[in-house]
Amino acid sequence: MTGPLVGRSILVTGAGRGLGRGLALACAAAGADICVASPRENGAETVAEIEARGGSGTWVRCDATVAADVEGAVAAAVDRNGGLDVVIHNATSRRSSEPARLEDIDEALWHEHVSVSLRGAYHCAQAALSQLRARRGRLIVMTSSAGIEGSAMLPVYGTVKGALRGFAKSLAREWAPFGVTVNAVSPLAETPAMTSAYEKDPTLEARLARVVPMGHLGDPETEVGPAIVFLAGDGAGYITGQTLAVDGGRFMTL
Amino acid sequence: MLTGRVVLVTGGGGGIGRAIALGLEDAHATVTVVDGEFASRTDVEAAFAAAREAAGPIDAVVHAFVDPTALTNETLADTAEADWDRRCEAMLRAALLCCQAARRELSARGGRLVLVTPTMALTGAAGFVPYATALEGMRAMAKSAARQWGERRITVNCVAPPVELMAPAGAAGPAGLALTDHALGRAPDARADVAPVVALLAADASHFVTGATIPVDGGIVMAP
Repeated sequence: MTGPLVGRSILVTGAGRGLGRGLALACAAAGADICVASPRENGAETVAEIEARGGSGTWVRCDATVAADVEGAVAAAVDRNGGLDVVIHNATSRRSSEPARLEDIDEALWHEHVSVSLRGAYHCAQAALSQLRARRGRLIVMTSSAGIEGSAMLPVYGTVKGALRGFAKSLAREWAPFGVTVNAVSPLAETPAMTSAYEKDPTLEARLARVVPMGHLGDPETEVGPAIVFLAGDGAGYITGQTLAVDGGRFMTL
Repeated sequence: MLTGRVVLVTGGGGGIGRAIALGLEDAHATVTVVDGEFASRTDVEAAFAAAREAAGPIDAVVHAFVDPTALTNETLADTAEADWDRRCEAMLRAALLCCQAARRELSARGGRLVLVTPTMALTGAAGFVPYATALEGMRAMAKSAARQWGERRITVNCVAPPVELMAPAGAAGPAGLALTDHALGRAPDARADVAPVVALLAADASHFVTGATIPVDGGIVMAP
């Protein structure tokens, strides 16, 4: 394997399918060894796909809401590679694309979103800091345009994705003295979650296409993945606390 | 500016909530205060209903509640899970419960909802990761609520004071985030400087402003 990430050890939460799988494949193709953290067997399918293309990785059964699971995933990555360079917190609730009204949000749906996105981010940071510090590593959290501009369909998803931007900015300040960067990436990607959102709202795809300057949703591996490879690579060590939008131009503010 | 308007202020018993409540009274609003914990949806809705019984139908809700531990200066690595829960997730949940109770009170006639989200949300702050995380979540929640409730003529906005104004007496917020001083030469006063902007968002003039965050910090952050 050759590529900009050869020798790097990367942990991706929620890498069993969808965007997380695409990011894992992109990083593996760039030479990294991937720890695919997923609570379900689809993590093994991601690893099989990585290996079929000549890359390397392992699946660790990991529920991001459980501290011991995240610690186990970090330990597995360290066992394989002697350390950990990058953590990508990509996992979201399986109910994340379920449309809802804010006034109707109940404790169960709230807990789903908050526990995976926010408690999961806390667990990732807690479990990985000493390893990331040793290698001047990177923490990347996946956010969304819903977290930047709000969402009329997915208000809690927007809330936790916005919260992750706050997490990235403050933790970036905290970890900068260690040489560890913390960034957020805001993708717009064709994923099973998006497909399911289309099924619930048949007009969504056409509406989205109209407001995405590039006219289509990004491919997780070939259009979003390269931005992650860049942030995980040598050239991105001076970028921290940022939100990198990889969304076909959907959101232009700054 | 607010004669005849009823404004409910959460966290109004002390700190910035009290200062905003007093400032809204300066603007001639009838102010009612809800204080205490945001334990359950039922509790918060009951507290809002009791405030309505006492003060009359509510025109605007200001969420100024802040947990007294939210501004604890502690690295994330040293933050125990229970403290993460209290300073981050519980603060975010309190905002949800406030939004839901406000929606219930305001739905018949439309109205205004204002969340107080210090500029730390915009800039990030070392030592305050849990609360800063909750604050950026609150800003995104306000935008989603604004999108969903606009059809009910409910506007939802955020006012961002400097974080020092959020701290309980004696506690210091993060320092040294800005390279420059306040453009206006002094730190804002919550009652004199922040409350009038909250009042503006509760008044007729701002009826077309929604989903916005308005920094009221004397010109430190100047967010893009």
